[in-house]
Amino acid sequence: MGQGRLVLASNAIGKPVRAVGGFYGMALDTFVQMFKPPFAWREFIVQAWFVARVSIVPTLMLTVPYTVLLTFTFNILLTEFGAADFSGTGAALGTVRQIGPIVTVLVVAGAGATAMCADLGARTIREELDALRVMGINPIQALVVPRVLAATVVSLALSATVILVGLAGAYVFCVYIQHVSPGAFAGGLTLIIGGLDVTIALVKAALFGLSAGLIACYKGISVGGGPAGVGNAVNETVVFTFMALFAINVVATAVAVKVTL
Amino acid sequence: MVDDWIDGWNRVGHQTQFYGTALRNIGYVFAHYRIELLRIIAQMGLGAGALVMIGGTVAIVAFLTVTTGALVAVQGYTDFSEIGVEALTGFASAFFNVRLIAPATTAIALAATIGAGATAQLGAMRINDEIDALEVMGIRSVAFLASTRVIAGLVVVIPLYCVGVLASFWAARLGTTVFYGQSTGVYDHYFRTFLNPTDLIWSFVQSIAMAVAIMLIHTYYGFTASGGPAGVGEAVGRAVRSSLIISAFVVMMISLAVYGQSGNFNLAG
Repeated sequence: MGQGRLVLASNAIGKPVRAVGGFYGMALDTFVQMFKPPFAWREFIVQAWFVARVSIVPTLMLTVPYTVLLTFTFNILLTEFGAADFSGTGAALGTVRQIGPIVTVLVVAGAGATAMCADLGARTIREELDALRVMGINPIQALVVPRVLAATVVSLALSATVILVGLAGAYVFCVYIQHVSPGAFAGGLTLIIGGLDVTIALVKAALFGLSAGLIACYKGISVGGGPAGVGNAVNETVVFTFMALFAINVVATAVAVKVTL
Repeated sequence: MVDDWIDGWNRVGHQTQFYGTALRNIGYVFAHYRIELLRIIAQMGLGAGALVMIGGTVAIVAFLTVTTGALVAVQGYTDFSEIGVEALTGFASAFFNVRLIAPATTAIALAATIGAGATAQLGAMRINDEIDALEVMGIRSVAFLASTRVIAGLVVVIPLYCVGVLASFWAARLGTTVFYGQSTGVYDHYFRTFLNPTDLIWSFVQSIAMAVAIMLIHTYYGFTASGGPAGVGEAVGRAVRSSLIISAFVVMMISLAVYGQSGNFNLAG
């Protein structure tokens, strides 16, 4: 009885610890295999296209309401100061520094990572990964490396799209709905935000893509237990990627603030 | 091509019909499925599977809002100090946390935790033919599975939102006063001056509206999952995608409707 309880307790502690260890093991494997030929070009292109396809519509649909919300709230403030002409500065500040990275996080985690985890999880359930191993192909090299790189590249591209769409949306909203003069909007854009901020936003996006890809692949290849297992794995992917990416965002913002000062 | 359009159009109809049925059956749940309702509320509060290990839904919501609150401190303090008004960081916390960050973050956390969990559960039940078994036993499956979860989402979001708002306030205050060394008196003065109770209530209403929308979408995708284990995973992904979009639109619409032209904001106090 006592021993049974001890085994139960050690399982409860051991399981999450083993999961963390397994994740780091897979991440290390991935980084090592990344530089070992042959590189799976075909899989990389297919995956990049796949992630881009599931992400592009959610990106556009999420960017527009968030930018409108942000510029609207910011303009309330600016109008109160009597500085509505600076709405371009506010839009650039919000879009490049926060909306850009946050929407990229949401889309990469909510759309890209879930689709990737569901796909890999289904393959694991069908024992396709074991079949690859039997044929002497390393699944990390053949499946995980191209997926992680695809997620990184696509989230870099997505972040640029988010910033462009966000600024365009803010322009339409400020100029046509809130009647800010277009010249003042465009003139205010680069007042605080410069090339360095845009670079930082892109670096952040690449980091998000990398970690979301790693988490999704780890959850995908460690699936067990039938249909409920795949569903739960995708659910955990969403939760863990959101948590990881929000934490990375705070740390990266703090570092970026130190760099730009 | 035309068939695709017709399929899409029909899907919108089916979806609307499902939402109507789920909302109409809420009264039936209170009359007949009270025990199941209590069970689901308890389960949602804690989360399912491996999520219990890290403290359940409450801990995840708190974690996400702490990071966004810290973001207000980091970004707000540095941006304000560029023009020499870093004393206004407390104001930024009271203004942006309430109007933008807390509702948006709570929506994200809800979709990721209880929403995605509901889709995974219902999808697995659909794949294993358990939903058909319920129907055969004469149980109203939409009321039993979907309406109960909508009510449970509504109940669970109330404490979750309170935790979220408090965590974001606390993180912004801690970041500004402890890490950037602003005096707590200055921070609290501007925070209290600009914290508007009416805004808080509206942001609460936003969260409740989002919770209902999120639970409806997630139960629909779980309910209609098909195509084996991979289908359940895909359904979860699709549900998260659409509920994020819908909740962003809900926040935007309610904000525009409530704050409108006047802005309900007065810098002079």
